[in-house]
Amino acid sequence: MIQIKELKKVYSGVIVVNIPQLEIKKGESVGLVGNNGAGKTTLFRMILDLIRPEAGEVLSNNEPVAGHEHWKNYTASYLDEGFLIDYLTPEEYFYFIGGLHQQTRAHVDDFLASYADFFNGEILKRGKYIRDLSKGNQTKVGIASCMLQNPELLMLDEPFANIDPTTQFRLKNMIKEANCTGVTTLVSSHDLNHITDVCDRILLMEKGKIIKDIATSSSTLAELEAYFAIGDAFEPSASAELKIDPEENH
Amino acid sequence: MISTFLKHELKAFWRSKNTGKNIAVRIVMAILILYLLASVAYIGFVLDDILKQKLPHNELVPFFCGIILVYFLAEFFSRLQLQELPTLRVQPYLQLPIKRNTIVGYLALTALFSVFNLWPIVLFFPFIFKVILHDAGLVTALAFIVSILGITILNNYLALYIKRKANLNGWIFLIAAAVMILIGLSDFKWHIISIRNISYLFFGHLITYPVLALVPILLGVAMYFLNFAYLKKNLYLEELSTKKDKYKSSTEYPILSYFGSTGDLVANEIKLVLRNKRPRSALIMSLFFLLYGLFFYPNPALRNNEAFKIFVGMFMTGIFIINYGQFMFSWQASHFDGLMVSKVNFADFLRGKYLLFTASSTLAFLLTIPYVYFGWRVLLIHFIMYLWNMGVTVNIVLYFANRNAKRIDLSKGASFNWEGVGATQLMLSFLLLLPPLIIYIPFKYFGYTDLGLAVIGAIGLTGTLTRGFWIKFLEADFYKRKFTILEGFRNK
Repeated sequence: MIQIKELKKVYSGVIVVNIPQLEIKKGESVGLVGNNGAGKTTLFRMILDLIRPEAGEVLSNNEPVAGHEHWKNYTASYLDEGFLIDYLTPEEYFYFIGGLHQQTRAHVDDFLASYADFFNGEILKRGKYIRDLSKGNQTKVGIASCMLQNPELLMLDEPFANIDPTTQFRLKNMIKEANCTGVTTLVSSHDLNHITDVCDRILLMEKGKIIKDIATSSSTLAELEAYFAIGDAFEPSASAELKIDPEENH
Repeated sequence: MISTFLKHELKAFWRSKNTGKNIAVRIVMAILILYLLASVAYIGFVLDDILKQKLPHNELVPFFCGIILVYFLAEFFSRLQLQELPTLRVQPYLQLPIKRNTIVGYLALTALFSVFNLWPIVLFFPFIFKVILHDAGLVTALAFIVSILGITILNNYLALYIKRKANLNGWIFLIAAAVMILIGLSDFKWHIISIRNISYLFFGHLITYPVLALVPILLGVAMYFLNFAYLKKNLYLEELSTKKDKYKSSTEYPILSYFGSTGDLVANEIKLVLRNKRPRSALIMSLFFLLYGLFFYPNPALRNNEAFKIFVGMFMTGIFIINYGQFMFSWQASHFDGLMVSKVNFADFLRGKYLLFTASSTLAFLLTIPYVYFGWRVLLIHFIMYLWNMGVTVNIVLYFANRNAKRIDLSKGASFNWEGVGATQLMLSFLLLLPPLIIYIPFKYFGYTDLGLAVIGAIGLTGTLTRGFWIKFLEADFYKRKFTILEGFRNK
């Protein structure tokens, strides 16, 4: 589905993404993890042809994304609020996106009806423009508009970040279901529980490089926690923490 | 604390992402303001000489007393439109241990740093020093100075108070403007009241009772505290941002559905214009410019000047293209990423722009048909300029749109908002207005005016008929610059 070759992006002398080779096969569900500044969003933007890489290229279905528009037909993505047209009402936005994919209004209405639980009565027919919605609700609009497009490739950047726990669980199920029907999913998150739950394959990024590429198993979560946990590298600080504890518990 | 706020604001200015471009604009503005200030200072300095030439010496001071209030009324009217509300982005300070009075006091005090507060000093003080000090003595001169400063402060805070109120409710601005116009009319047109007499009533008595100078200063201070209290009462985030809880309903434009996805894009853009303050002001300005002909056509000196009619005709039928189009695609900056990854063909996107401009220009042409009152030839010129706008102006505007990568914050007002304006835009305005005249003037020089008009019309028509070619050209051009544009739009 996606092939990345010698991809490199440099911002003011610092290499922020450097991926010699990566292939994501059709139907895979891939999770992207890494601390802030690891290059996750930059990678997403390059896959979506929103920034020009210094070197290398991204192929989607064996066609470079740069200079082609065919990938737009089967790719749905939500990275941030900049993807939403904020002066439209949610309904207008959904009709617009549906219209781009030759869907009738009735079809969009049917689709939206099936998302009533997900929206929790806070999105539709509330008489608000998208810009007046809370960040979490904007995320919901973005995710739903992705699903509306019946994509073959779904890309979400930190979709769990602003939404409530119930919606997080719903979203996990939505991504899993989509994956079962053959949709390739690429999701980034800071929530290790969610990401290991949803994805079959985890890519761990650090300073622009993919340093781990693991097929999810029962031990993956522990492995990731070990990477992100602080203090494991040098024991003394851990024991120092223990010494402070009794004082704090006065 | 106040110095910290000042430092923060300076940093906010210098570290803003497009400071470099801003500075160029600000320097131009500063030069303009300095020039204006120098002109006013000159007038202020020679005011007594000018008046001496027109009036006998004993009417000099009464006349001066009479014009002060007239000036302040005019100043108040322009303040209402142009003076900017001082804004400290208070949000990050509200939860910190900083007294509310400090924050509010800062907002209220910095309001005094406005060029408007310099005008009266520059304009009136030389006269006071040269004439009143000489004629009536030091105490009276001081009384005049204090009064004028008092009224300046009063004007300053009254204008800001009304603007703040108007920010929450647009009608207040209209009512205030209507009251000002009515006052003006009832003096200069209907002669019911005389502002000059009222002004003389006060400033004339000031000569005999200098204590009266306390009245304006007290009024000014009272107005300051009214502002202070109002700001303090409203220092809640919800109310500072002017959100209204009105129900926003979905709209559709059935006619546009005939145009498929291009029509959908145009529908979105119409909503963009109608639902955001700045493009809406651009639209209202365009409607206002449709009256342009009324200022020029009745003027007998210009009646036979066809070059001028070409200029006016081009302006009236194309003003929306110029006004709105020169900030293309910045209007959509906040969701341009979204447009780029969604299934929008860029050629369709461009076709949408053409459709929008065609519709606006056609509408403008239809609205200017009544100008046929000034002769059929006026209508003919309008039509030719309409063709020109359709075929040429549109292409130039879109060509420059590919060279514009500045983000626009849609929610801000338009007057004196230079955001998104740069050398490219200024150049564009000239480029748009000049070519038809450059074509026409040689023909006129040799006496073939009809042929000149025909050539302009033919070029316009050719441009319209070859639109397919221009779309391809602009699309290829866009893809060369896409990433620069996208990066610029992401820079908040």
